[in-house]
Amino acid sequence: MPDTDRKLTDAELQLLKSAMDLIVPAVDELPGAGEMGLAENAVDIANRVPGFRHALKRILDALALDPSARAEGGFAGLDEEQQTAALTFLEASMPAAFDKFVDLVYVSYYSDERVHKRIGWRTGALQPLGWDLPQFDLAILETVSKREPFWRKA
Amino acid sequence: MSITHPPTDILVLGSGASGAAVAWRLSNTDFKVVCLEQGRWIKPEEFPTEHADWEIQARANWHYDPNVRGLEQDYPLNVDESPIDPLMFNAVGGSTIHWTAHTPRFHPSDFRVKSLDGVADDWPLSYDELEPFYDAYDELMGCSGINGDPANPPRKERPMPPVPIGPDGERLAKAFDRLGWHWWPSDSYINSVPYRGRNACNNCGNTGLGCSRGAKGQTDVAIWPEAIANGVELRTDSRVFRIETDADGKATGASYYDANNEENFQPARAVVLAMNGIGSPRMMLHSTSDAYPDGLCNSSGLVGKNLMFHPYAMVSGLFADGLKTYKGPLANMIISQEFYETDPQKDFVRGYSYQVARSSGPITTACGYMFGRVPWGAEHHEMFGRRFGDVNVVGIIGEDLPEEHNRIELDPVLTDSNGIPAPKVFYKLSSNSRKQLDDAIDNAEKVLNEAGAIEVLGTRFLKVAGWHLMGTARMGDDPETSVVDRWGQAHDADNIFIVDGSVFVTCAAVNPTPTIGALALRTADYIDRQRTDLRS
Repeated sequence: MPDTDRKLTDAELQLLKSAMDLIVPAVDELPGAGEMGLAENAVDIANRVPGFRHALKRILDALALDPSARAEGGFAGLDEEQQTAALTFLEASMPAAFDKFVDLVYVSYYSDERVHKRIGWRTGALQPLGWDLPQFDLAILETVSKREPFWRKA
Repeated sequence: MSITHPPTDILVLGSGASGAAVAWRLSNTDFKVVCLEQGRWIKPEEFPTEHADWEIQARANWHYDPNVRGLEQDYPLNVDESPIDPLMFNAVGGSTIHWTAHTPRFHPSDFRVKSLDGVADDWPLSYDELEPFYDAYDELMGCSGINGDPANPPRKERPMPPVPIGPDGERLAKAFDRLGWHWWPSDSYINSVPYRGRNACNNCGNTGLGCSRGAKGQTDVAIWPEAIANGVELRTDSRVFRIETDADGKATGASYYDANNEENFQPARAVVLAMNGIGSPRMMLHSTSDAYPDGLCNSSGLVGKNLMFHPYAMVSGLFADGLKTYKGPLANMIISQEFYETDPQKDFVRGYSYQVARSSGPITTACGYMFGRVPWGAEHHEMFGRRFGDVNVVGIIGEDLPEEHNRIELDPVLTDSNGIPAPKVFYKLSSNSRKQLDDAIDNAEKVLNEAGAIEVLGTRFLKVAGWHLMGTARMGDDPETSVVDRWGQAHDADNIFIVDGSVFVTCAAVNPTPTIGALALRTADYIDRQRTDLRS
């Protein structure tokens, strides 16, 4: 994957989907992040957010080169335990890129309306609705208001 | 081929917290005022909170850090020698576009740290002298708050009641009470009720991304419309590259690039620098001449030196009561100044404030700004569920002290898109600041535990936190130890003024903008009353 905007190859996309499923696995009625079809969205986000594209490239390259990923079927062909071990190895060996990669997966996942529905987040823009927040009862100031002024004279 | 404009009386450079204040104050006089701003107007519908992808924009084109944002109107900064990344915004409104509008004032003691504690220097003015200008700036920008705070001097009634502290704020407030520690509802330039034709805040939360409702004290909505109606000319997309001077060292105006990258010259009787605590010294160091071989008005050698940030740390508390802590202005709940002053029992001087803050949306929660990154893998969903909407943060603002080695210089290689040298930032965290932060972390953990947090996480130091840029063209009575006098007027040239955070002698342990605004109004008042010679 060159360090410029473009779509992933099918193989890279499959690798990304598999990794995303491990980063954010299935929960309740939702499949893992990769199975949800968020890999393409992740690539789009990587092209928008500084640092993400480079991290994505490094992690996908590393996964493709990992000896265990050369087994038949590549990374996607490994069992879950082996895949987790491969990601854990990357997390330890290239922490900065891996952290960015995880952030990328999270940004993609938590942008999705299906996820918002599951976690109880009102999807869409914050405005114009905002949030209701009642004004507080000024009686809460009673204790601190009784304190003698203690600012330092100068 | 340079374009030369008709002369003006006062040329203001920068349209943010201080430049807007000067322009507005002088717009009520016979002065002709022009303001140059390198950014552009931002329309309400452009702000990220109007868009579903606001949390993505916050990491990209609306990032606080210009080095990440990288927009055409930004300039890069070399931060290789700084553990803190300076943050700023370039648009009409300057950094008030993305600030969180938390607006405590300096204390009277903050102007007298040398006399009281034997460190740094006293200011050449007092709190009492600045107080009427604090009041005026509060009114101009719109301050919400309430009187009676025992940690601060009595003051004029705020224009609006406080913004809601929310159920999570009440929980923290009661914890401070139980510990016998001070707290008070935050002063904020956020409208708790409709104010001067602007809407009340609807608690969407992310004040740092600009307010499309006009409910936050951004100068583009709070000040500029009136200043322009009064006759000030605000010229956008105008990037200054040199402040011009004559053989005597007096300013004659400023040269700048317009939107077409053409060179322009705006002649003026006086120039007011309001480009922030890094932008102003950058431009001064770049404006060398025969009169100023070491940079504009730099006979003291102090231009760019004594850079102060407020080094930030924070302690996050994880709760289990589902209060949805993302509701309400992000950093505008309560403040504590229990540990504000020097305590002889401690191993550091001066003190700190606590600024209690809320959490944010799902992406921010997962990526961990408030409580560390949520683990990936099998634990992920459980850990995310525990954190989302259940975190409050106690932010720590310690008083940084001026040190000459903390400074900006012009980078020999890095430039902006017009080829103007970028600033290079040199900063080292002092041992005094480190001790302040460590003490503050310990006490913040106590208050969060008292409030019922089930888990507490301290972040010892925040890198992306250079919100407050101060001290790089300090104010003083002695031309050998300061750059400007008590009115913000350069010692080396009586028609050059500086009004942003550069002039701070010390930085207190509070957010600086009300003090910046008050100083700017005071300088403008001085120009109006005492410098009629600058009027054509």
